[in-house]
Amino acid sequence: MLPSELLMLRYRGEELVPKRLELSERSRAMAREIIDLYAESVGRPKFEIEERLELLEGEDTDYRVKRGLAHLAETAFAQLEVRSPLEPQALRERVFSASAGRAGDPAARARALAAVAEDLAAEGLPSSGAALQEALYADLPENHILTAFEPPEPDALLHRYNLAQAQGVLYRAFELVITAHRNDPGEYKQLFRYVKLFGLMTTIEGDADHGFTLTLDGPTSLFRPSTRYGLSMAKLLPALLNVSRWSLTATLRPRRDDPNAPETARFTLDSDCGLVSHYRKDHKFDSILEEAFAARFEAARTEWQLEREVDLVPLPGSAMIPDFRLVHPDGRSYLLEIVGYWRPEYLRRKFAQVARSGRSDLILAVSERLNLEGAGVRVSELPPGVKLVWFKGKLDPKAVLAALEG
Amino acid sequence: MARPSTLTFDRGTLVLHPPPKARSWLEHCTWDDRVERFRAPAQAYRPLLEGLRAEGVTVLDRAAAFVPLEIGPAAHPEPFVHQREALEAWTAAEGRGVVVLPTGAGKTLVAQLALRQVARSTLIVVPTLDLMQQWYAGLLAAFPGLEVGLLGGGSRDDTPLLVATYDSAAIHAERLGNRYGLLIFDECHHLPADFSRVIAEYAIAPWRLGLSATPERADQRHEDLAALIGPTVYRRSPGELAGQALADYREERILATLSDDERARYDALIEKRNRFLAEQNIRLGSLEGWQRFVKASGRSRAGRAAMLAHREARGIAFGTESKLRVLAELLARHAGERTLIFTDDNAAVYRVSREFLVPAITHRTPVKERHANLERFRDGRYPVLVTSRVLNEGVDVPEASVAIVLSGTATVREYVQRLGRILRRQEGKTAVLYEVVAENTAEENVSRRRRGEEPLGASVQPPAPARPVPHLEADETPVVPVRWEDF
Repeated sequence: MLPSELLMLRYRGEELVPKRLELSERSRAMAREIIDLYAESVGRPKFEIEERLELLEGEDTDYRVKRGLAHLAETAFAQLEVRSPLEPQALRERVFSASAGRAGDPAARARALAAVAEDLAAEGLPSSGAALQEALYADLPENHILTAFEPPEPDALLHRYNLAQAQGVLYRAFELVITAHRNDPGEYKQLFRYVKLFGLMTTIEGDADHGFTLTLDGPTSLFRPSTRYGLSMAKLLPALLNVSRWSLTATLRPRRDDPNAPETARFTLDSDCGLVSHYRKDHKFDSILEEAFAARFEAARTEWQLEREVDLVPLPGSAMIPDFRLVHPDGRSYLLEIVGYWRPEYLRRKFAQVARSGRSDLILAVSERLNLEGAGVRVSELPPGVKLVWFKGKLDPKAVLAALEG
Repeated sequence: MARPSTLTFDRGTLVLHPPPKARSWLEHCTWDDRVERFRAPAQAYRPLLEGLRAEGVTVLDRAAAFVPLEIGPAAHPEPFVHQREALEAWTAAEGRGVVVLPTGAGKTLVAQLALRQVARSTLIVVPTLDLMQQWYAGLLAAFPGLEVGLLGGGSRDDTPLLVATYDSAAIHAERLGNRYGLLIFDECHHLPADFSRVIAEYAIAPWRLGLSATPERADQRHEDLAALIGPTVYRRSPGELAGQALADYREERILATLSDDERARYDALIEKRNRFLAEQNIRLGSLEGWQRFVKASGRSRAGRAAMLAHREARGIAFGTESKLRVLAELLARHAGERTLIFTDDNAAVYRVSREFLVPAITHRTPVKERHANLERFRDGRYPVLVTSRVLNEGVDVPEASVAIVLSGTATVREYVQRLGRILRRQEGKTAVLYEVVAENTAEENVSRRRRGEEPLGASVQPPAPARPVPHLEADETPVVPVRWEDF
């Protein structure tokens, strides 16, 4: 992400448009220049890199673009470290104590430095007076040493840049509305995990046919819209890019120091925006149990279609994301959730969710190995329409189909 | 039996569930559809519970995470009359309110006495790192049995007694909100800003103390302090308190001459800048002219080049080698004397520190190191200290007999405060203040303005620094039990 001073936005009425670099040869050349600069600077201190960047920025007015690219090259692909024979704060204490009272006498200062170097050598930290003087402020950011750099492809850096500019718009957002359609449950689960991780709250409305509306804000938004959650919303954007079908509208309060800014501004984006996420797509939600079931279902002869793209089942404060959706050509459809997992709290939560959802188009496939009574779950409390299928070891598609038709 | 109504803390808010059989709480709570619970702003904690208590209803309080502080017997100076009155007024206001006292009138002691009285986990919020260091030193001395933690300035402690900057406290407001029973806001006029007000809003702290010399804000937001902290409970002006004293020192101004190379480069840069300014018809004398220059520098290549030239020229004038030569001379002349070196930019501070092997303090120095450096300067282990502008306002600067100003900005107040606070006669010698100025550069004018002079001015009268209020009456510390305490 980029600091506010490197964001480049313009307003089209109330609409906010972040800076976007074309993936053109010109942009690539600019990115390559910066990548090369970092690659050549491994082993050098940060202030030297800054000086070289300043030369590269030159007197052009697009220096902010270059500075933005450099910022991302550094934060995402580079490693900077403190290099000093001794922890710098401790080193300073030793050097300044040794040289106390000698500030006006160059020869005495040099002797004091040499004495500290000798002491350190005796402690197994060989060094020289000059090296110590050099390392005195090794902990200041500008003196950090670039120790490693993994050069990205120019396009990867440009993607980062475009994403970061879009994220920057959201810093000032106080409400984010996402319209999501049927999506892969793994994608949904990961998105909601990030919502929780970044401390956001959601209200979910709607249905699969018209799209689900996810309104995102934070705990205190209830009393007053707050831009405080904008940073979290910005962090969420790369997670949203990993979901297949969505659109978003953010409402935001522009900085007061921008004379061109309207009172309230709007930012919209959708899944065709072409921005590229650097968050990994995580498929660990797809358990072996579900994969095996999907494979067996393919072999089963039935008119029912098994879909991975599911409905969200809204719940207060969260959403339930079933594993599969079963659709019949005649229009009937059911959501299938496989419960093969055994932690008691998980079971209690899962059954409480189903009970609260009020849905009657749910099928729960529950492993017989689970000790539901022991976990404090009472099957009788489930809503009347919910169908229950028990299975041992593996879940047989036939059992599920029987429950559907039964 | 029905589940007891429970109050929990959720990231800057309170959740009350299930709803208690009472009515007073409804005025604080809002139904939150997202979780199907009632929610209240965290700062409603005290009125909410007071209301319920008045109705004779108990709820399970899972929100409060603050704890009693074990404050042993410890020495603190006798409070002056105004300090005692301030504490009494705050206590009478049930531990919520703002105390307005002039700089130097000992607001810190009022806060320490309040802390002693409440004796619960306490968060102290300060605007600058130097104030943070000062509170840290003061708390260590006043409460030797307690661990004092810092949040901000290179530290990220997590202690029941914590000193934080406004920035850090605001960033962590959701996490800190239920951990402190008492909030102390130093220079509390900073609190109402959009970014920092959440420190008060997201906190449940039943006790709150604001301290300031000048709570008024141009944007009128100081009116919010009543809701965020409490009403102004005590107020004294400098005239009502202060005495006068003159420092005993002399001033000496030394012109540092640029080397030939520096001179040539400086002239070329200024020439380049001025050509651009003339073309654009910009005059730098006023703030408006400067703003136009900044704007122009973002719009065109030539403007940016002119701005870069201006910066480099300024760097030559302020950081010139010749000044370091003068500094070397002065340090040799005053070897062994308590010497403070001031400069405006951090790069120069670190350069001096590295070349002359003297400890430095800038706004980037970790607070604990800053504390150690000042302590050692005070006790003489470090006779010389170099610093940027961080030692200016409201800070106990240790006394010195020599001050060397290598460069500075044009703020008159800054200069006055530097002079008045620092210099004390030592061992029969008159204290001295040197101002080292690069000859024949823009800096000469800055220096004149800094002294409050017109470009060619008369001699300077040393300003009269404020002195602490005379000690009128030695009375025992007022220990008034806090009533709001069953939490």
